[in-house]
Amino acid sequence: MIELISVLIVGAILFGIGLYGALSQTNLVMIMMGVELMLGAGMLNLVALWRYLHPESYSLQVFVLVGMTVMALEAAVGFAIGTQRFRTKGSVEMEETSEMKE
Amino acid sequence: MITIRLIILIVLGLGAIWFGWRVFMTSSMVRSAFSLLANMAILGMMFLVMRAEFLAVLQIMMMATEMSIMAIFMMMYMMDPGGMGDMDMSHQKKTSIALALLAGVAVILIVGFSQWDAIAENVPTTAQQNYDLGMELMKRSMMIFETAGTSILVAMIAAAASALPFKNRKK
Amino acid sequence: MMWILILVLFFFSIYAISVVEHWSVYRRWDFLHPFSAFAFSFTQEDIKPRMHDKTFLQTAPILFIVAAVLSVGVLPFAKDFILVRIGTAALFINAALAYIMVSMVLAGWAPNGLYSMIGGWRFLGQLIAYSMPIVMAITSTVMRAESMNMTEIVESQYDLWNIIYQPLGFILFYLASLALAFLPPFDIPNSTGELSGGIFSEYTGKRLLVFRIGRLILIFSLALATANLFLGGWYGPYLPGFVWIFLKTGAVAISYFFAGRLMPRLRHDHTLEWSWKYGTPLALTNILWVGILLLL
Repeated sequence: MIELISVLIVGAILFGIGLYGALSQTNLVMIMMGVELMLGAGMLNLVALWRYLHPESYSLQVFVLVGMTVMALEAAVGFAIGTQRFRTKGSVEMEETSEMKE
Repeated sequence: MITIRLIILIVLGLGAIWFGWRVFMTSSMVRSAFSLLANMAILGMMFLVMRAEFLAVLQIMMMATEMSIMAIFMMMYMMDPGGMGDMDMSHQKKTSIALALLAGVAVILIVGFSQWDAIAENVPTTAQQNYDLGMELMKRSMMIFETAGTSILVAMIAAAASALPFKNRKK
Repeated sequence: MMWILILVLFFFSIYAISVVEHWSVYRRWDFLHPFSAFAFSFTQEDIKPRMHDKTFLQTAPILFIVAAVLSVGVLPFAKDFILVRIGTAALFINAALAYIMVSMVLAGWAPNGLYSMIGGWRFLGQLIAYSMPIVMAITSTVMRAESMNMTEIVESQYDLWNIIYQPLGFILFYLASLALAFLPPFDIPNSTGELSGGIFSEYTGKRLLVFRIGRLILIFSLALATANLFLGGWYGPYLPGFVWIFLKTGAVAISYFFAGRLMPRLRHDHTLEWSWKYGTPLALTNILWVGILLLL
């Protein structure tokens, strides 16, 4: 019981740190690192729940595999968008996106 | 009940939190990418302690490649990759700290006050886990993985296509 | 008792790999060269560049040698002699080799020099590209054994070695091992003529010694992986098991140096083109081939 609770608390703290990073950074790459931290904390929660509550069913492990796939994919697409933005604007600061309104 | 496994899990968890904190508190960009890699590797080690071996090895292997790619992109696009200047690159600090604290405390309270079922003691062996995971993928979750495969293909094509330079650009 | 013998044979084979590498570059047999090179690097002055990255300069050699030793640790030397028994050992080799890549990027970035940094990024591209054929060739051997455990992969080759069962997988694993250990013809990242030494150009003294010993251990571990995965491990007619493994590993490691000198050094974009355009589709057809053979 106490192992499960301590691992879930670690996941909660990592999620909070990731949320802070995703909200407070101005650069695209740093925002993506915050999102990766949040996804990693989510996967830690999933594995803890698999091991301590239901080790006989594997749908939680499939969820973790899909989560890893999503982490890789959003990194790829995010960097492609960042590349294109860097080519047109010269920087990937997210505060300048309000210039796209006009 | 304090066992060795609990102590190892707590020590690894504290290490992961420290590296996760260092990601945003350092001014050198490459150091922050590799600090995130250390965080993910420690998560992989925690998976290994919790007897999910295949997921642990996958996590360790994939995150090494992904964070190295992130390091090279940071070097390409950030203003100050070495961290020698002294820039503070964050905005709306108070709001984000408040929201992060709110989210973290809310999850901790939910974890602490909910009724968990009985803890399972016996975990299947690794060979049995690999076999059953493969069977699960092929029988019940085949649709999920077909969708994941198609979305990987779409994301690859989209990423490659949106990173192409413009052809006839009139200045 | 047996472990002491295996350890002695391990150090002897690393010494032998170093002698053969010296022969393949200088065309002279010099059996005292490893000891004199060791003594020279050990007592060399430790020069650190200006404004280097302190953490990474110390961490990179240690991570390199730890990753190389970890990848040796999961491979069996004889029937019951594995250092660490993990159930998913076949995938763990790839995970350990990924940390070789991380340590090379750190080593390139740390000394604050242009040539070593470019060498580091080139090595990153090369290693990501060649990890694909390696993991797919390992997958096709796992398919035959129906388990990721190294002992069972070797035992599944009892009647027919994997080199005959899947020759395409062996060729791809061999070439990708040449690229992973940055041996010629894939040695753009740290060769002497190119980028004035590449990644290792700013390292002197004990750190360079750790890198060089780690590189020899890496070559040994890739040869040991080839011998276990494709050449039948410890199966052989008369001699005991571990002697056969060391003979096969030595043969593969010595052949790395002969096969590499046959062609000139590949340009970097040709290196990547070989892997992405030709290597990965061929590895996928190898998986298809093994699947068809297993279903028949």
